[in-house]
Formats: sequence, structure tokens, C-alpha cells
Amino acid sequence: MAAKWSFGQKVGAGFAAVVALTTVMSGVASYALNSAIRSKDRVITVNAQTLVDAQKLNGAMEWKTGAARGFLLTREERFLESMRDARAEFTDVLGHLRSLTLADDVKLIVDRIEIADRDYQAAIDGAVSLRRTDGPIGGVIRLLSDELVPKRDVFRQQVQALVSREERLMEEAKTASTEAAQSAMAVVIGMTVIAVLLAVGIALVLTRTLTRQIGGAVQHVQSSSAELQSAANQQVTGARESATAMNEITTTISELLATARQIAESAQRVAHIAEETAKAAKAGDQTLQKTRESVAGIKRQVDLIVTHMLDLGKKSQQIGGILEIINELAEQTNILAINATIEAAGAGDAGKRFAVVADEIRKLADRVGGSTNEIRALVEDVRAAVNATVMTTEGGTKAVDAGTRQFIEVTASLEQITGLVGTTTQAAREIELSTKQQSTAVEQVNLAISNVAQAAKETEASSNQTLQTATLLSGLSRDLTRLIRPNGSA
Amino acid sequence: MIGTPVHFDKAAELREEFDRTFALSPTAQGEEGFESLLAIRVAGNAYAVRLSEISGLVNNRKTLPFPSPIPEFLGVAGIRGELVAVYSLAALLGCGLTGDTPRWLMICRPHDPVGLAFPEFESFLRISPSAIHPARRGEGLRDHVTEVVRASATVRAVLSIPSMLQAIKGRIGKGRPSKER
Repeated sequence: MAAKWSFGQKVGAGFAAVVALTTVMSGVASYALNSAIRSKDRVITVNAQTLVDAQKLNGAMEWKTGAARGFLLTREERFLESMRDARAEFTDVLGHLRSLTLADDVKLIVDRIEIADRDYQAAIDGAVSLRRTDGPIGGVIRLLSDELVPKRDVFRQQVQALVSREERLMEEAKTASTEAAQSAMAVVIGMTVIAVLLAVGIALVLTRTLTRQIGGAVQHVQSSSAELQSAANQQVTGARESATAMNEITTTISELLATARQIAESAQRVAHIAEETAKAAKAGDQTLQKTRESVAGIKRQVDLIVTHMLDLGKKSQQIGGILEIINELAEQTNILAINATIEAAGAGDAGKRFAVVADEIRKLADRVGGSTNEIRALVEDVRAAVNATVMTTEGGTKAVDAGTRQFIEVTASLEQITGLVGTTTQAAREIELSTKQQSTAVEQVNLAISNVAQAAKETEASSNQTLQTATLLSGLSRDLTRLIRPNGSA
Repeated sequence: MIGTPVHFDKAAELREEFDRTFALSPTAQGEEGFESLLAIRVAGNAYAVRLSEISGLVNNRKTLPFPSPIPEFLGVAGIRGELVAVYSLAALLGCGLTGDTPRWLMICRPHDPVGLAFPEFESFLRISPSAIHPARRGEGLRDHVTEVVRASATVRAVLSIPSMLQAIKGRIGKGRPSKER
């Protein structure tokens, strides 16, 4: 459990133990001092006071004796007055003496002193009474010598006995007090030795414990300070890199801002161009509608041409058929003429003129055949031309159809273009607005980045400060290690 | 618009020539002594036949196939109310038989009418006798060719119809024609 105590708890426990030991030692010392003080007080308050009171009794006795002698010599009343004062003093001192805590034998001596005083007072009173009576001085002197002096000696003896007794008691009390004081001193010295030993032990335990604990903590602090130093170094490097990066970011954002502004301007121009394009597309659509109508007219004309050409082809075919008939007729005429020639030859001279006719007919047939061949060739040319024209016209028709379809597609494309241009215009405006908002945001970002860069610089400065602090802390931990382990390695 | 004036001119030219022919005498026309021939083409070869050796020329006549041991015999055809035996001129010339029946038919009449069928009639020729030359053996000419004639830059073999009729007659006489001929 003690291992879990904190530094303050351990130091506090050590001090508490030392304080408890000191308190016990103080209690014992106080007790011993009290015993010595009581012994001293008893010596002072009882024995010394008794001795003082004995001396006062003795003085009062001497005072009363002197006053009595004065009166006996002079018969002056002032000596009687002084004697009564001395007697009152004596009574007070005796009363004070009785008030003290006295031993039984001392009380007995005090009683005897009081008796001796009454006897002496009675003798004094007898002498005073005698003096008052105008008797001879000699009687007074004898009385003084015979009664007063012995009684005064008795009194002195009793007082001396009291003094002796009290001096002996005081010597005993002094001795007892000295012994008590010596015992107390011995106890205090012993307690002091024990306290010192305990304090040394506690100090050693505390030193070992705290050295171990503080040493571990200092080691931790040292390693932590080293780590903190390394971290601070890294933080400094990171802060510098962050500052550099922030500067680059700021530059890039500035370029981005300029680009965004250019984009906004471009988007504005695009929107303007898109509006003009939409107008042009509408104009183109109208032109296309007119062109479609023209193309439809062309298509109708081409269809008419195709119809006429097909009719022409049919007519050419009919001509060809007629030519075949004519050719066949010419061929048959030729055959007939040849046969007529043969027959005319068989007829002799009578057939010569007929042979001439037959030959002419044959020639005509040949010419007709040749002409029909020419006409056939021409008709074939016409048919080929017609076919080519029809093909071309059909191609034209197809081209016109394709053109019509393409016009439709172009019209649809133009409509789509118009729609897309509208969308483009809207998009360009949105891009412009968004880019402006983006520019504002980028400016804010730039400001924020500038703040971040400033913060990075401050972080760098703080990291430098942290590095210095870590270095200082490392040095302090080494110093602290040397303090707690002078021979150990820091 | 295609050459209409030209045809009108040709028609007028034909009419005028026809009228002039009848206005002149035959001698004035300078055709006395000329030979009349038919220019034909058999198996791609140009031939000529004397008009005086045939008795008629017809075309597009239907030939009815008739069973015969003579391969050149194609069948019989009705010509002017008579049955005419039709022979393939190409087969007689040794060119072999073709799948289609030739559309032209020469009628020869020494005794019974015989028709020689050929595929293509080209023209009628009026040739001076000086243009006709005897054929020489060893020139690659076929049988029944004794003369050659040059007309319009084309040299034609002049077929001898009597020779061919004699050959046909010979085959009929034998009852079985020879393939080598």
C-alpha cells in the first residue's frame, strides 16, 4: 500500500512520524519538566517560603524585643506601639506559615513557636506592666534577664529548629528535584536518541523510496523530454513545411482565384455567345423551314421528271418493239427479195426486170435493216440515257429524300441545338454565378489559408519554444538526476 | 430531237435511189455478169453460197425431229406445203452438232427439196467473177469448198451445194453415213 503512496504522502507520513515522535518526546519532556517544576515550586513555595517566614518570625521577634527594650528603657509609648506592630507582623507571618502545606512535624514546630511566642509575650507584658509601675529599674532588668532572655532563646531555638527542619526539607526537595530533572533529561535524551534514530531511518527510507521514485520519474521525465525534444524538432520541421506548403497553397489559390475570375468572364462571354447562337439557330430554323419547302418542291419536280422519264422509257421500249417488227419485216422483205431473185433467175430473161425490182427491194430492205439497226442503237442510247436519267433522278430523289430527312434531322438538331444552347446559356450563367461564389469562397479560403500560414509560423515559433523548453527540461532532468544520484549516470 | 433530220434525209435518199433505179436500164446499172452470193457464218467461220445453187431461203421455221441413223439429219420442216428434209450445215462441214436448231434454212431442189440449216445469215453479196478464186488444197479448207471469194475485206469459202447434196445422197444410198465425213 505504501508503494502506491504519492511523493507528498510519503514525505507527509515521514514528517508525521517525526512529528509524532517529537510530540511524544515533548510530552515526556514536559512531564519531566513539570515534575522538576513541581519539585522546584515545592522547594520555592513551601520550603523557601517557610524559611522566609521563619526569618520573618525571627525578625518580628527581634523587632518586638527591640521595642520592648526601648519601652523598658524609656517608658515611651511609641515603643509599645511598635511592639504591637511587631506582634501583628508576627501574627500575620504565622498565619501565612500555617496556610502553607506543611508536614506534620513542621506543624508541630510551628505550634511550639506559637507557644514560645505566647510565653515570651507574657513575659514582655509582665515587664511592661512592671515598668509602668514606677518600680526600680533593677527589677525590670532582672526580669528581663531572668525571664525574657530565656523565653526569647526558647523562641529562637524553636525558630532555629524550624529553619533547620525546613533547610533539610528544602535540601531533600532540591535533591529530589534535581533527580527528577536528571531523570527527565535522561528520558528526553533517550527519546531524542530514539527520535533521531527513527528520523534517520525514516529519512533513509524516504530517501531510498523517493530517490527510487523520483529517479524513475526523472528518468521518465528525461526520456519524455528527449521524446518531446524529438517531437518538437519534428514539429518544427513540420511547421516549417506547413508554412512553406501554406505559402505555396496561398500562391496556388491566388492563381486559382485569377483563373476562377477568368472562368467567370469566359462563362459570361459564353452566355452572351450562346444567346447569339440561339438567335442564329432560330434564324437557321426558319431558313431550314423555307429550304425544306423548296426541297419538297424540288422533290415533286424530280418525281414528275422521273414519271416523264419512265414514260419516255416505256415509249422507247414501244419504239424498240416497233423497230423489232420493222426489222423483222425488213428481214422478211430481204428474204422475199432473195427468193424473188432466185425465182427471177429461174425465169430467164423474163425475170430480169423482176430481178431488178427484187434486188432493189432487197437493197431497200437492207437499208431499212441498217436504218432500223441505227434506230435501235439510237433507241438503245435513248433508253440508256432515260435509264441513266431515271437512275440519276432516282438518285436525285433519294438524295432529295435523304436531304429532306437530313433537313428534318437538321431541323431537329437545330431545335436540339436551340434547347441545348438555352441549357448552355443557363449553365453558363450558373457557371458564372458559381464561379463568382467560388471566387468568394476561394478568397475566404485564401484568407483562411493565410491565417493557417500565420498559425503555422506561430506554431513553428511555439515549436521552437517547445524545443528550447524540452532542451531545458532535459538539462534540468539531468541536473535533477545528478542531484538525486550523485554517482549515477545522468 | 435525236437525229430526226438525218432519218428524214435517209428516207428521201432511199426514195430517190429507188426511183432512179427504175429510171435506168439494167445494163446502165453496170451489174451484168455479177455473181449473187449469200454470206453466212457457220461455227464462227465465214462462208458464201451461190444464189444460183439454192432454190430458196427461209427463217424461223419449225423443224420436227425425226429418227434417223444419219446424225446430220435434223428432221423435217414444212416449207410452202412441202416436207423438206433438214440437215445441219455445220455437221455436214464437220463442225459437229450444236444444241439449238439453226434458225436459217437454205432450200435446195435438185430433185426432192433438201434444207440446209445454218445459224447466221450475214448479207447478200453481188460479187464480180474476178473476185472468186479457186481454192487450193492444203490451205486448211474443208470439204465441199472449191473456191474462195473476197468481199468487204473478208475472205469467204464458197460452199458447193451440189457437192453437199451429192454427199447427202451418198449417205442416204449407203443407209448409214460415215462419221469420218
